[in-house]
Amino acid sequence: MTLVHRFFGLIVVVAFLAASVAAADVEACGLCHPEQRVEHEAGIHAAEGVACTDCHRGDGQSRDTDRAHRGQFRALDDRGMVPQSCSECHSNLELMRPYNLPVDQYAVYTTSQHGRRVAAGDLRAAVCTDCHGVHQIRDTEDPRSPTHPRNLASTCGECHSDADLMSDFDLSPEIVAEYSRGVHGLALEGGNQAAPDCTSCHGTHGSAPPGLSDVDKVCGACHQRTRRAFIEGRHHEAMRAAGVPECASCHDQHEVISFEPEAVGVVCAECHSEESEAAQLSEKLYTLIEKAEESLDRAAELVAEGERRALEVEDYKSRIEEGRTYVTEALTLVHTVAVEPVADVTNRAQALGEEVRHELYAKMDTTPARVGLALFWFYVVLTAIVLVNLKKQSAGGSS
Amino acid sequence: MSDLERPDRETRSSRALDWFSRRINLTEIFSLLTSYGFYYAELDTRKPLREALAEAESRPVGSYGRWPRVLGLFVVVLLWIELLTGALLALYYLPTPDTARASLGTIMRDVDFGWLVHQLHFWGAQMLIAFLILRLVIFFVRRAYRPPRELFWVFGAILLLVCFHLDLSGRALPMTDHAYWSTVRALEIAGSVPIYGSLLLFLLGGAGTVIGELTLIRFYILHVAVLPLLAILMVYLHFSGVRRVGLSEIRGERKVAGRAAVRGHLYNLAIALAVLFGILGTLAVLFPHPFRAAADPYVTLPGVGPPWYLLSVFGFLEWASGALPRQVAGGILFVFFVLFVAWPFIDRGDSKRGRVTAWVIGVLVLLFWVIFSLYGARVA
Repeated sequence: MTLVHRFFGLIVVVAFLAASVAAADVEACGLCHPEQRVEHEAGIHAAEGVACTDCHRGDGQSRDTDRAHRGQFRALDDRGMVPQSCSECHSNLELMRPYNLPVDQYAVYTTSQHGRRVAAGDLRAAVCTDCHGVHQIRDTEDPRSPTHPRNLASTCGECHSDADLMSDFDLSPEIVAEYSRGVHGLALEGGNQAAPDCTSCHGTHGSAPPGLSDVDKVCGACHQRTRRAFIEGRHHEAMRAAGVPECASCHDQHEVISFEPEAVGVVCAECHSEESEAAQLSEKLYTLIEKAEESLDRAAELVAEGERRALEVEDYKSRIEEGRTYVTEALTLVHTVAVEPVADVTNRAQALGEEVRHELYAKMDTTPARVGLALFWFYVVLTAIVLVNLKKQSAGGSS
Repeated sequence: MSDLERPDRETRSSRALDWFSRRINLTEIFSLLTSYGFYYAELDTRKPLREALAEAESRPVGSYGRWPRVLGLFVVVLLWIELLTGALLALYYLPTPDTARASLGTIMRDVDFGWLVHQLHFWGAQMLIAFLILRLVIFFVRRAYRPPRELFWVFGAILLLVCFHLDLSGRALPMTDHAYWSTVRALEIAGSVPIYGSLLLFLLGGAGTVIGELTLIRFYILHVAVLPLLAILMVYLHFSGVRRVGLSEIRGERKVAGRAAVRGHLYNLAIALAVLFGILGTLAVLFPHPFRAAADPYVTLPGVGPPWYLLSVFGFLEWASGALPRQVAGGILFVFFVLFVAWPFIDRGDSKRGRVTAWVIGVLVLLFWVIFSLYGARVA
């Protein structure tokens, strides 16, 4: 037996110990908590070197349960402790600076409805881990993250669609479903990354419903021009005085609707009587927009027809596009509830459509071709008649 | 007006003819020029023209200006229209993928009457193929391919196949989205037929599913040189057959001879052709083939099938794709087309049983054509 053979067992043990020492960074918690370890390692914390003991404390190097769990160890199974424990790092400017993450999120959270209820001892309200996950915390940019914009509605819905839970707070469990049916939800679902999710209006960590008088500000954060038009118009003051929600009165809250111009009358009728001046105004605005759109649609049809006949249509196409921009502008200016600003842009759109039509009609006039065809047929028939006569004569002459 | 009333003109023109006849073989030239269906009797090219014509006129022939024989003339005239309009289009068409569509745009937009020439070329081709198919169906029904006219059918069938290829290669040339994907579908069909398919795809550059510069120029060469020559050759062979064995017989027809009879046939023909021109012009003006968007080889245009006359073949391949390997289905097609061309030698239908068999086969082929065409249109 060689030396190696004799001491084989010893060599294995030494090698194992050496490997353990080399891997001292890796904590031993996973030996007893394999599921949590797997989850943790898939998350961003593990990737950034945050270890079990950074949250749970205790002795990560020990393979003995008692020794591992001694000292300042905390299980964090008390939900109330979660926000504060996260804030130990996330409110630390030194630690957060390299990631350019804000350090005021804990403070903001304590002002939110969630934070206030938790502080008041109501542990049914959301804490950090309810939205971000427990061990497997992912970056918000990660599409698998529950806080990724496209997953956010269902994440909020875990509590806010729970009818039993929401009834305790006198909240509607329908809002997430409503949001998903609305234009914002549909746009996000359709892949528009700029579409708003829950937090766009309610705030992220400081989540709270916007106050009645703040709705137009919240909507106006994205719909800036619309808000400006709205403030210029008569509705702004009047609705504020009447104490009705500004944007939501027509567009609804969570199930945000963007109605077609023809629905304007119906929506107006909710407040204004049919014979009122306002009803006439809505009719007028609708007609203006409809006329402009119709003019552009007809021009676009003609352009498509011209394209099939190999005409140069790029210029016409861009003019129609310009017209469509004016119509979009008109839909914004409708919020002034005044005719002049809307008519100003719809007239331009309509004029563009008509201009394109006139120019194309002149280029696509098929009358000469049809007249030519008629003439051609005239000669065909004439030729046939002459030939028939010649044939008769020839037959008569020969017989 | 008989020629006797005009002795001056007669003598002057005949003197000129005789002068030429002594120096060149006018009869041979006349024979060649009229070999495309304008003169049906055989000419003795050793004799001077006037003598040969007088002799030919004395042989009684059936009218070639009457239905359904006039279809043959329509085919020839349409073929010449295609050659003429095609030559005009070739003055402006630029056969590279980048310039093809733009040059067609120039033809349709900027060139005087370019649009008309383009539309006549397109509709002429569609009418040509329709008439060829109709003609073969009537040929089949009348069993006009019985000996000694087997070759009429063979040349007619080959001409139809050549015209399919002419139309296919022509469709690819504009490089518009519809043209492009329609051609790709047709090439996929061709590719599934053994021997022929691999030969064609090899000839076209082997790619088959992407039409690049080389493929396009090969399509162009096929379209403007190789295939037209083949078509002209087929027509020539067909009519030389007609001259040798005579037109197929129509029951109850009285054959007449003489100059007046020949002139009468020509008048009938001229009237029919005038109407044909009228129809072609109407289609070209009132139903213009659209100028479509540029082709993008990387974006399959949905809903584009092969051209109408290949829909049945496409339908068959699609239908068979579930049950048979593609090469087997293609093999069936190959055998079918060979049998189609060689049909007169297969049909032994002079007995009553043979005639019934021929009828059943004819009806079945037509039925399958219609069914698979409808299926193909639905799949596409």
